[in-house]
Amino acid sequence: MGFFDDKQDWLRGVFAQYPDTPQGRRAALMPMLRRVQQDEGWISPERQEEIAQILGTTATEVAGVMSFYSYYQALPTGKYHLQVCATLSCAIGGADELWDELVQELGILRGDVTPDGLFSIQKVECLGSCHTAPVVQVNDEPYVECVTKARLHALLQGLREGKRLEEIVLPGKVGHEVHVRGEEVGV
Amino acid sequence: MDRMVRVTVNDRTVEVPGGTSVMDAIFHAGYDVPLFCAEKHLSPIGACRMCLVKTGSPRKGPDGQFILENGQPKIFWMPKLSAACITAVSDGMVIDTLSDEVKHAQSGMVELTLFNHPLDCPTCDKGGACELQDRSYEYGLVEKFYQPDPMELPLYTRFEMTRRHVDKHHTLSPFIVLDRERCIHCKRCVRYFEEIPGDEVLDFIERGVHTFINSEDDGLPSNFTGNIVDICPVGALLDQTARFRARNWEYDSTETTSMDDACGAAITVDARSGLLERIRAAERREVNEVWISDAARFGHQWVNENRVCTPLVRRDGKLVEATWDEALKAIRQGLDGVAPADVGVYLAGNSTLEEGLAALELTAALGTAHRDFQGRTAYPTTGFAPASFEELLDAEFVLVLGEPTEEAPTLHLRLSEYIRGLKPAAKLNHGTPFADLNIKERMPRLNHKLALFSAYPTPTARWAGASAVHAPGAEAALLAALLGEAEAPAGLGEPLAWVKARLAASQRVVLVLGAGVLNQPEAAIKARQLAERSGARVMCMTPAANARGLEALGLFPGKGGAGWTEAGPRAVYYAYLPTEAQLKAAAFRILHLTHRHPLAEKYADVVLPNQTAYEKRGHTLNLEGRVLPLEPAGINNGEADGAVAALGLLAEALGVKTPVRLVRQATRLLVEKHKLPAALERWLPKSTGWTATEADATTGTLYLRPTMWRREQRVGAVARVVEIKLEMSPATARSQGLADGYLVELALPEGVERLEVKTVAGLPDGVMYVPALGAWAGRRVEAKILVGGEA
Ligand code: SF4
Ligand code: FES
Ligand code: FES
Repeated sequence: MGFFDDKQDWLRGVFAQYPDTPQGRRAALMPMLRRVQQDEGWISPERQEEIAQILGTTATEVAGVMSFYSYYQALPTGKYHLQVCATLSCAIGGADELWDELVQELGILRGDVTPDGLFSIQKVECLGSCHTAPVVQVNDEPYVECVTKARLHALLQGLREGKRLEEIVLPGKVGHEVHVRGEEVGV
Repeated sequence: MDRMVRVTVNDRTVEVPGGTSVMDAIFHAGYDVPLFCAEKHLSPIGACRMCLVKTGSPRKGPDGQFILENGQPKIFWMPKLSAACITAVSDGMVIDTLSDEVKHAQSGMVELTLFNHPLDCPTCDKGGACELQDRSYEYGLVEKFYQPDPMELPLYTRFEMTRRHVDKHHTLSPFIVLDRERCIHCKRCVRYFEEIPGDEVLDFIERGVHTFINSEDDGLPSNFTGNIVDICPVGALLDQTARFRARNWEYDSTETTSMDDACGAAITVDARSGLLERIRAAERREVNEVWISDAARFGHQWVNENRVCTPLVRRDGKLVEATWDEALKAIRQGLDGVAPADVGVYLAGNSTLEEGLAALELTAALGTAHRDFQGRTAYPTTGFAPASFEELLDAEFVLVLGEPTEEAPTLHLRLSEYIRGLKPAAKLNHGTPFADLNIKERMPRLNHKLALFSAYPTPTARWAGASAVHAPGAEAALLAALLGEAEAPAGLGEPLAWVKARLAASQRVVLVLGAGVLNQPEAAIKARQLAERSGARVMCMTPAANARGLEALGLFPGKGGAGWTEAGPRAVYYAYLPTEAQLKAAAFRILHLTHRHPLAEKYADVVLPNQTAYEKRGHTLNLEGRVLPLEPAGINNGEADGAVAALGLLAEALGVKTPVRLVRQATRLLVEKHKLPAALERWLPKSTGWTATEADATTGTLYLRPTMWRREQRVGAVARVVEIKLEMSPATARSQGLADGYLVELALPEGVERLEVKTVAGLPDGVMYVPALGAWAGRRVEAKILVGGEA
């Protein structure tokens, strides 16, 4: 069964937001991708094909749009999908070392999920927070900023303990521990 | 035309139409500007930033007067350099392409572009014809900026880093291989597919430095994939049929006309050491612009193999090599006692006008009515006033009855321009603009300007405001409904009503007719009435490439003569392979062939070596009635010669004199007697007086559907792409006791073929489809399934 078969009302609502032209119809691509990503955690080739069919475009076109945005996943992800920014500022700030650390610690590569189903990892293009490089993003949550190895381990530890992201305290310079959100602890 | 504006490029002031890009103004003025992403007939997008130049314009003050400086309008320079391809000129604009600032920026762009490029030019097929090589040479590494000290070697780059390594041999289809390391992300190929054929099969995947080209669709499903090889500015997209055959400068290149369909696209034939190795598109603004179909490009591997290089005569029941003199003797003997009126002359559908004239003069001298050319349709195309491609772009409404992507591929590409509302490209000093700002990405398709009805699903239909797939043979009923003579066939009421209203409301109408209509005189006559009533001009997608020209000369059977599908005369000359029944029926058979074939071994009395269309000199007429030249490429074909020479031999054997013995004589006669105009002009002789001679050529339940591929092309890579299957709707299959994957033996006009059954949902019931692969396109025959069974 198609993903959108029982979501016809939702689809109609989406299409109604755009002009009733072939171009307008294609504009629904983003909301449709988002819906699948939200509900299923990734967008399988079958879903891509289904979206292409509905929009009257090709699977290539869908893959092109999808792969441009790191939010959309073409492979199944873990409960926590860690996205490490690897563009210039973060690269200079040590993103590669962070990545190696993650690979070491979790024993997975891009495309894998840890056996406990908790983690998957991915390098992404600039997240737009270069002044706080290096940056890591967990799922769709706010960024984890100025990530050091110590902070990375604290982050993983917190997630393993099942804490919500905002509950996790990251180490900083002594007396400057911060929440993931960036406020100093106790401020 | 737009208002003209004056711009100054460096020291030269030129006038160009308003809306011209800065890039084209620079070329028009005779200066150069480097570019990678701009390309003729594609939308300019400013992706590569290679074309940076400095521009400035005068400005008006609050008083409406130009702000002056030293008595001259003051030039306000843009604070930064602009990409010339996406900047429009304005009146009084000043463009600088020579200053240090510009040169420095351009050499910086070359440096950046080369940053991740593998520089494997010695093993790259593009080497020597590569835009990146040329631009790096001309615009990269300006010593001034890259040589810190005259005594030191120049720095080749300011960056030190490991280059990106990605997939180097990614096969996109049996025709095209992609080297992702070489790609410079100009996006030409991606834009091409969306804008020109409209098949969105290629796209950028990922982003930033990870961006690469890919397709989710297996094997690039489109009839027009090869053009991306021509336009790729580097060696990222390469022709697999010509991989590692030669360096570009070793080819012996000939520009000629493609005889693969009736459009007459310009091609460049590249030969080396006497072998045809590669075909590329050549520019012919009036016809194919710079694009060709895959059949015209990749369907050449058959040319080199298995050629007939000398005449063959039958001795002791076997064909043996002989000289032309011995062939003459054999023909003289064979024709001894045959009445001249009992000799038949049959040319191939891709014969030149010169060959047509030779055939006509010879048959006139012999007094025989048996003459024809292969693939002639049952109704004459000369009965219709042809439209030119320019008129097509100017039309308000186009009605297509057929499948342009298969029957006349170039026409599909011109319809793509038409449906985006584009007019013929401007002609500047340097020719077609490289950055035509009228062209945009993802332009809306003006669907109300097109309707399409075909007997088989066709990609062109996606642009049509109304379209339907009808049963083969329903064209007459459909046209009758449009003429108001009959009720619309079931299910077509709504689209036909729409077409009727559009026809009534439109001034300039073009009708495009496929072989399905032309092979059905009843339908063709109705189409003619419709054309006359709506003042429409017509484009006939004939199976024979030169149908219009050969017909215009009068090469069709005289009274009582046998047509190309029939058997008749006692002695025959065929410049192609006829059916076995036709060969059996004749007593003496001369076959003029390019390739050996079992039927020839079995039946021919004399075989003469023929030239392929790539080896001929002469002229042809395309579906617009435009005269197009053919030039012989440097292909080794032994003693092969064209029909003019072969028919000269026949005349000599029969002891008759004809005025045409040489191709040049024939050309002269065409010009003097038949008033053939110069190449690229249109030749529209008055009607030849021929009306339909055949009864309805199309009855039966097996439809030979038109394909752009011809039978002989199915070797090598083409054989892997073109599959011949017997197709039908699932219901038809059930009623015939067949199912998917069954193997059947089917009697086709050209012999018995073993085919697999494939069911296709949505095809009309009660008919079966098989690709015609040549002259029989658009005809129907009785489906004779000899044996069938599960595979
Ligand atoms: S493959 Fe060639 S044409 Fe396509 S984007 Fe890359 S360089 Fe440009
Ligand atoms: S480079 Fe990492 S956020 Fe911009
Ligand atoms: S930016 Fe590529 S040619 Fe102008």
